[in-house]
Amino acid sequence: MKTSHFLAGLGKTAFLSVASIFVLVPMAVTVLGGFKSNGDLRENPFGLPQVWDFSFFSDILSQPSFWAYLGNSLVISLGSVVMTIIVAGAAAYVFAQIRFFGSRMLQSYLLLGLVFPFATAILPLFIKVRDLGLLDTYWAVILPQTAFGTALAILLFKTFFEQLPREMFEAAYVEGCGYIRFFWQFTLPLSTPIIATVGTFVFVNSWNNFLLPLIVLNDRDLYTWPLGIMQFRGEYVTEWNRTLAFITLTIVPAVVFFLAAQKYIVAGLTGGAVKG
Amino acid sequence: MAKVEIKSLVKSFGTVSVIKGINIDIPDGSFTVLVGPSGCGKSTLLRQIAGLDMPTSGSIMIGDRDVTFEEPSDRGISMVFQSYALFPHMTVRQNVEFGMKLAKVPAEERAKRVANAAAVLHLEPLLDRKPAALSGGQRQRVAIGRSIVRNPQVFLFDEPLSNLDAALRTQMRVELAALHKKLKATMIYVTHDQVEAMTLADQIVVLNAGHVEQIGSPSELYERPQTEFVATFIGSPKMNLLKGRAAEAGKAATIGVRPEQISIGPDGMWEAKLAFVEYLGNENIIYLDSEFGQVIARAAAAVDTPFGSTVRFGYSPQNVHRFGADGQRVA
Repeated sequence: MKTSHFLAGLGKTAFLSVASIFVLVPMAVTVLGGFKSNGDLRENPFGLPQVWDFSFFSDILSQPSFWAYLGNSLVISLGSVVMTIIVAGAAAYVFAQIRFFGSRMLQSYLLLGLVFPFATAILPLFIKVRDLGLLDTYWAVILPQTAFGTALAILLFKTFFEQLPREMFEAAYVEGCGYIRFFWQFTLPLSTPIIATVGTFVFVNSWNNFLLPLIVLNDRDLYTWPLGIMQFRGEYVTEWNRTLAFITLTIVPAVVFFLAAQKYIVAGLTGGAVKG
Repeated sequence: MAKVEIKSLVKSFGTVSVIKGINIDIPDGSFTVLVGPSGCGKSTLLRQIAGLDMPTSGSIMIGDRDVTFEEPSDRGISMVFQSYALFPHMTVRQNVEFGMKLAKVPAEERAKRVANAAAVLHLEPLLDRKPAALSGGQRQRVAIGRSIVRNPQVFLFDEPLSNLDAALRTQMRVELAALHKKLKATMIYVTHDQVEAMTLADQIVVLNAGHVEQIGSPSELYERPQTEFVATFIGSPKMNLLKGRAAEAGKAATIGVRPEQISIGPDGMWEAKLAFVEYLGNENIIYLDSEFGQVIARAAAAVDTPFGSTVRFGYSPQNVHRFGADGQRVA
């Protein structure tokens, strides 16, 4: 009995160790690469740097453009998060609360968005954004990201909202509270776990999005950080060590955001499964 | 305060009609209990009165106003739900004053009414707690407090005590009765528990399969049930319904005898086998197997004959309820 427990534990640990290697090694290579010279990086990509060179980090941190990129990324990511939560939250609330003709069909239509990859739509998306006159604005990234994030967000929100007791709405309704007020005063405040989950997904997706900003943003002042990396890629040489240092600095906010919301994210993902 | 009139109310969900043309008058200031087995439409009826569901046809009057198509908040009603339905992210005080805030009642008036309700329901020490930090009975009191402060014309209760344990239920029952005396408001109360119905009500409405079986005071229902259904539904253990020779002797299709009216002794009319005895301390519930099926008797004295032995039982003719073949009372 005890040995089988031990073996099962060992197997589990071994599997998780291998899995974490796949995550941690690229992370370590990225972080350590930022301290190496280009030659060192080529000869010894996985080891510790021969000489710890902090100059790339300090260079990047002292560049105003780096902070501008981060600022742009932050505005766009937070904008996408807020928009997605409001739009998808409101839509999911309607699907969860109100039965109306065509509701099932509409839901299925929205869920189609789940199987629709961003890249295939990039040309029509560009044309649409251009026609709306939004090129070179934050909205050019925020609005399409919101649209593409809604499918998953509605799915997650709806499952969660359906678990809020119906009698609570009825009690509020009897007291004179309408649907819209209920959404703001009850549904949203009681849904922090799922809001954190959806928020993190959208935030991280937006933070790492490269293709869309590349297409719709031409003004350097509006560049997000993934576009900012391009400055290290010359015609003949790519400065990998700078690039890696840059990446290390830019993933920090996303990691911080995840750690802050982690507790809620797990609750949000499994909430539907365990609540009796 | 107001009377409530329900006129030829019908409610169908698709092809299934749950309420089949009900007429009920609920007098001003009465405590009316809607009682019936599950699925009889009592909660559905209450939801129509509250305005949470719209009737298929018929009308509902509160006071002299036709409120059939009015919003719940305009009807002058308040409702207490089975699951309390408190707002978990608000304190007790916020829960209680929520409706008044929506109705734009001024802050001083709100504070006064909350204080009054808290005093009536002993909620003062709890006002700044969240519902999660309250016991079941306290939660129920908050739910009642929430309905009191709006000064409704009619209180609606949807099985408010069914989530409480037996001791607390008895205590809350007494408190509800006291509350009704104090407020003198019209109260409509749904339950499937006939003890609650008998102890609380001025008027009981017995519902069965979407129609009204009988409306009357608790004693009327107990002493003169109009149908076999009411006869067996009200009273515990339920009334014995006897057919066959006993019914012929009583000149009816079926006769009913309450367990406490059945006497066991050598001069009884009918023979039966003693099947089982439940000892309850102050009384014994005696199960007999007779030619009429199971007969239940209630007696203070213990029965000392062994199980399986033959005994005789009887009843006096003036305690017999007679029912026709259609299940309706005769004479």
